[in-house]
Amino acid sequence: MNLHDCKILLIDDEKALREMVCGFLQRAGFHEVTMAGNCKEAEERFSAIEPHLVLLDIMLPDGDGFSLLKRLRLLSEVPVIFLSARDEDESRLRGLGLGADDYITKPFLAEELILRVTAVLKRVYHTKAIQEEEIIALGKCLVDMGSGLVRWDSAVSEAVGREREIALTAKEYAILQKLAQERGRIVTIDALCDAVWREENYGYENTLVVHIRRLREKIEEDPSHPQYLLTVRGLGYRLV
Amino acid sequence: MITSEKEKINYNYKKVARFFFYGVSTVFGIVILTGVLNLILLISVAVVYVNTDAGYIQGGNVMEALTQTGSGYELDREMAEEFERENQWAMLLDENGQVIWSIRKPEELEDQYTQSDIARMSKWYLKGYPVQMRAWEDRIMIVGMQKDTMWKYNMEFTISWMDFVKRTILVFFLIDFTWIVALAFLFTRRFTRKRERARIEWIAGISHDIRTPLSMVMGYSDTLEHNGELSEEARQQAAVIRHQSMVMKELISDLNLTSQLEYSMQALRKEAVRPAEIVRSVAVAFLNDAVPGMLEIDVKIDESGEQTIVKADRQLLMRVFRNLINNSVKHGGQTDAVKISISLWKEKRRCHIRFQDNGVGYSEEVLRRLRGRKKEDAAENIRGLEIVRKIILAHGGKIGFGNCEEGGGYCVIALRARGM
Repeated sequence: MNLHDCKILLIDDEKALREMVCGFLQRAGFHEVTMAGNCKEAEERFSAIEPHLVLLDIMLPDGDGFSLLKRLRLLSEVPVIFLSARDEDESRLRGLGLGADDYITKPFLAEELILRVTAVLKRVYHTKAIQEEEIIALGKCLVDMGSGLVRWDSAVSEAVGREREIALTAKEYAILQKLAQERGRIVTIDALCDAVWREENYGYENTLVVHIRRLREKIEEDPSHPQYLLTVRGLGYRLV
Repeated sequence: MITSEKEKINYNYKKVARFFFYGVSTVFGIVILTGVLNLILLISVAVVYVNTDAGYIQGGNVMEALTQTGSGYELDREMAEEFERENQWAMLLDENGQVIWSIRKPEELEDQYTQSDIARMSKWYLKGYPVQMRAWEDRIMIVGMQKDTMWKYNMEFTISWMDFVKRTILVFFLIDFTWIVALAFLFTRRFTRKRERARIEWIAGISHDIRTPLSMVMGYSDTLEHNGELSEEARQQAAVIRHQSMVMKELISDLNLTSQLEYSMQALRKEAVRPAEIVRSVAVAFLNDAVPGMLEIDVKIDESGEQTIVKADRQLLMRVFRNLINNSVKHGGQTDAVKISISLWKEKRRCHIRFQDNGVGYSEEVLRRLRGRKKEDAAENIRGLEIVRKIILAHGGKIGFGNCEEGGGYCVIALRARGM
């Protein structure tokens, strides 16, 4: 399914804001946007159109967004992004604890809104497709994220005595995937540990260094002078 | 991080202690003032009373004013006038209880009294007349007033009881005093709390109400800025509006946070966090958004710092680091790249974090304000740094600002590390 075909339900009591956000979404290519101004209307439209994403304001004239989300959750697992004018973290925690997917504090820029909407939609409806398709080009080698194989240019593989195809371990794959997602940007040690070991990742920093070294041996032409997987001292790593 | 709703709420104890001190001293002052006021009133009432109300005419004086003549006794004219004026009477008994002299003696009283009569009247009343006796050689002078003018009561206590009272009266006063102080304190605190809460809610409400209209200002100015049909000048103007609305957004959230920290009602959502991780993530966020080559952040975290865990509000701690880096970026490196070095280490059960930049440093005025001394409005805007200071203090930590000899300013933060 094309992301732009996703149906979006926008719930906010302020008409002018509703129209503005609707305009943003339509300009970004989301042409199926339905609006609702209160809980009652929202529930009716929700059942009628079965949206792929709900943008939900916390303050509504006939109830709050939290309880509305609870009721919507009884009907479906649709992703929900809160729009709120409260910046207290409490709202954030409660919102995410209830199973909201993201949270945007007013005021926001169109760009930010579209970015989050797209990110949530991609995560929910397109995750697999992206993983399978992606091939990361690192100079003379290509990393196929579908099969987890590093493929070297035949000339190079002969010159440095490397195999043409090298398999990545699960940990190396997770590290590379995380770095590739944020390609060009620095990823902290902590974020990498988080991606690799998920929970209870504290204290794995030294192990991470070992995995990075092994990964470099597979993807870098000269592992001791890396060209692609760079260290940012004290902070983390970056894939360029 | 998702935390249960029944999260433990940690209030800012230092501020509560200070507030307690102010409350108690206020109440203390009020109690003392009330005491002094009462004392003054009591004394003045007593003085007025003494001046308007006289007691018995002294029996001794009457005896001295009495001269024995052949036929009996004779009283000074002066003393006789006094009896008239005071509306009192007197009689003199001999050793047999026989009245041998009297002045203004009520009709109903007898002329002969037995020993038991005398004993009775010495303690109580004589037929309802209050009397006072004075033994003079073998005679007794009795001075009396009119009925219902005197309250007369005999009191006796054992010596040990009096001793006990003397010893405990102080304790009684102390208990009394504490009770009053506690009660008054509880009341004042309730009222102050209510007012503080009302103010915080008011500010929170305002900041909430501004957000929705500001969304539209920001949203549409952004749209206009990117509208290709408009002239370059119009788009520039839209860009200014958008930028300023973002400044307003920052101001609103700062206002809200400051008011909550100021009135010590900000419930810190404390959890175990690793400052090393937070510092890194904030630094990386800045580096990733910076123009390449314009910002350098050197982070040094030693092994002890890496493992340090503090109990802190994660969001607020991130804000501290963000504000500090922001401040360095804003004020530093006019000529070349902004260089910030951050070090983190653990020492004496405290987590220390030091920020240093290559900027212009802090002016004397700013330093004075950051040390919490001067509260007047100055030209320089240091709201961000004041929030940093408030957040650290709210966490029970310490913070210091200063200038380096080689140029640039530094900030050192110390937070209590969790035992391990």
